[in-house]
Amino acid sequence: MKNWLAVKAVAGRELSKVFRQRGRLVSSMVRPLIWLLVIGSGVGSMLQGSQQEGYLGFLVPGIVAMTLLFAALLSALTLVYDKEFGVMRMMMIAPIEHYWIVIAKLIAATITAMVQALMLLVILVLIGLIDWNIALLLLIPAFATAICCAAIGGLIAAWSKTLDNFAVIMNFFIFPLFFLSGALYPVSQLPELLKYVVLINPFSYGVDLMKHAVPAATSDFSIMTDVAVLTGFSMVAIVVACWRFSRESVHEPLFHRVTAKKS
Amino acid sequence: MAPKFAIRANGLTKRYGQAVAVNNLDLNIQSGQFYGLLGPNGAGKSTTIHMLTTMTSPTSGEAFIAEKSVLKHPVAIRATVGLVFQDSALDRMMTVDENLQFAAALYNLKPAQANERIDELLAIFGLQKKRHMKLAALSGGQRRAVDIARGVLHKPRVLFLDEPTIGLDLPNRRAIWRFVEQLRKEEGMTVFLTTHYLEEAVSCDRVDFIQKGELQYGGAPSALIRDLAAYILEIDCADTEAVNRALSPQFGQPIWEDEHLTYRVKDKNVDFTQLQQSLGDAVISLQWRKPNLNDVYLWTVCPPETGVVT
Repeated sequence: MKNWLAVKAVAGRELSKVFRQRGRLVSSMVRPLIWLLVIGSGVGSMLQGSQQEGYLGFLVPGIVAMTLLFAALLSALTLVYDKEFGVMRMMMIAPIEHYWIVIAKLIAATITAMVQALMLLVILVLIGLIDWNIALLLLIPAFATAICCAAIGGLIAAWSKTLDNFAVIMNFFIFPLFFLSGALYPVSQLPELLKYVVLINPFSYGVDLMKHAVPAATSDFSIMTDVAVLTGFSMVAIVVACWRFSRESVHEPLFHRVTAKKS
Repeated sequence: MAPKFAIRANGLTKRYGQAVAVNNLDLNIQSGQFYGLLGPNGAGKSTTIHMLTTMTSPTSGEAFIAEKSVLKHPVAIRATVGLVFQDSALDRMMTVDENLQFAAALYNLKPAQANERIDELLAIFGLQKKRHMKLAALSGGQRRAVDIARGVLHKPRVLFLDEPTIGLDLPNRRAIWRFVEQLRKEEGMTVFLTTHYLEEAVSCDRVDFIQKGELQYGGAPSALIRDLAAYILEIDCADTEAVNRALSPQFGQPIWEDEHLTYRVKDKNVDFTQLQQSLGDAVISLQWRKPNLNDVYLWTVCPPETGVVT
C-alpha cells in the first residue's frame, strides 16, 4: 500500500506527541477518577441500599467511555490545530489523497483513546472496582467506542476552521454526548424526551456495549444493536469526514489566510 | 528525458467571488529554468503557485507540470513538485530531524533513503549540528533553510519558492540564495520563485512582473535592465518644475515623488557633472547609477505619470 508510510508518519507524529507529554497523559486520569470517586460516591450516597453499593460499579463503563470520548475527540481535533499552525500544509502538499490525512489522524485518535482507557482500567483494577477479567473484556467494546468517538471528532474537526471555537465544541458536543448517553444513569429512567435524544446519540451505544461487560451495570440495548449502530455510524462518519476534508473549500482558506497575513 | 517545458499554463484564472486573483495567465517555463514571478503583495503570485501545485484549483484555464495536467493528476503533480511556503509549514515543537523524517515519510521515502538525503541537505545548509534541536530553538534563517530542505527532500523536478526570504536579514537571505543556487547546480531542478525583493531575482533566467493578477512585462533580467536605460538619474530638487522643464525634453517624463525626480537616461554619454552645473540652484542633490530590476518594475509596471510607489 503506497500510502501506508505517509499514514504511519501522520499517526506516528500524533502518538509521539502524546507519549512525550507524560504529564498530560497522567493528568488525563484525573477527570475520570474525580467523576468516579467524587461524583460516584456523592450521588451513590443519595441512593438507597443495594443501589448505593452498585452505583460505583454502574459508573465504570460510563467513566471508561468518557475517557475514550475526551481522548479521541481532543486527539482528532489536532486536525484543526495543524490547520491553525500551518503544519497541515506540509501534509496537504504531500503526494497522497487528502482523505488519508483524516484516516491517519483518526487511527492516532483511536490509539490515544485506547491507551488512556487501558491506563484507567489498570487503575480501576488496582483500586478494586473491577477485576482483571472485566478489564480485559471491556477492551473489546472500548475499541469499538474509541473508533466511534474518533469518527465524531473527525466530523467536528472537518467542519471547524479554528481552535477559537474549542469552548463551543466542549459545550455543544462533548458534554451533551456524554451526559445524554446513559453513562451516568440508566436510559430507562430518563424522561421520555431525553430518551429519544439518547437514542440518536451514537456514543450511547458505545456506553451500552461496555455495560454488557460489567455485571453491575444494566444495559439498555442488545449487543447486536450496539455493534450495528457503532459500526454503521463510524463508517458513515469517517466517510463524511474524509469527503468534507478533501473538499478544496475546506483547506483553501488555510492558504488564503497565510497569504493574507503578509498583505 | 526531461520534457521541454517544466511548467505550462494556458489562460489560468482564479476568482474568489467577484475578486479576480489571477487573470488569464499563460506560462511556458522550460525545464531547468530559474523563473521569477515578481510583483507587490496581493498581485496573484501565491495564488498562481497554489494553482500550479494543486493546493487550489483554477476557476478556468489549465496548467501542466512536466506535461502532466494539474487538474487530472494532482497526486502525481505533488510528487513532482516541491513547495516552500511563505511562512514555515514545519512543527516548531519537533526537532529538525523529526520534521524532516516526517516530511520524508509523507513522500514515501524509506528510512535509509531519508537519512541519507537529510544528511546531504543538512550538510549543504550547514545545519548538521542542529539536527536534533527543536525547530523553535533555531534562528529565522536556519528555520527557513530547514523549510527549503523539506521542500527538496524528495528531489522534486520543480521547486516552488514562495517569497522564501521574507522577513530574513541580509546575511540569511544571501545564505538562502547560495543554498538554492547549489541545489540548482547539483540537482538541475526548475525553480519557480516569487518575491518582492526584486534584486534577488537578478539571477533568474526569466522574470515576469504580475500586477492585479495579470502578467505585465517580462524577459531576461539583464535584457530588461539593459532595455530600460543606461543610467537612472535621481534628483532632489529645490524647484521641481524648473528641473523637469529643463530635463524632460531630453530624458522624457520622470517618476515624480514630492521633491524627488527620477529619470531614465538611455544615452551612455551624458556628462552628469555638467548637467548638475547647468541646473544650478534648482537642484539640491543629483546622483546617477546603473538601473536594476526595481527600476524596471517602477518604470514598466507603475507608469511614470502616476509615480505611485506603494
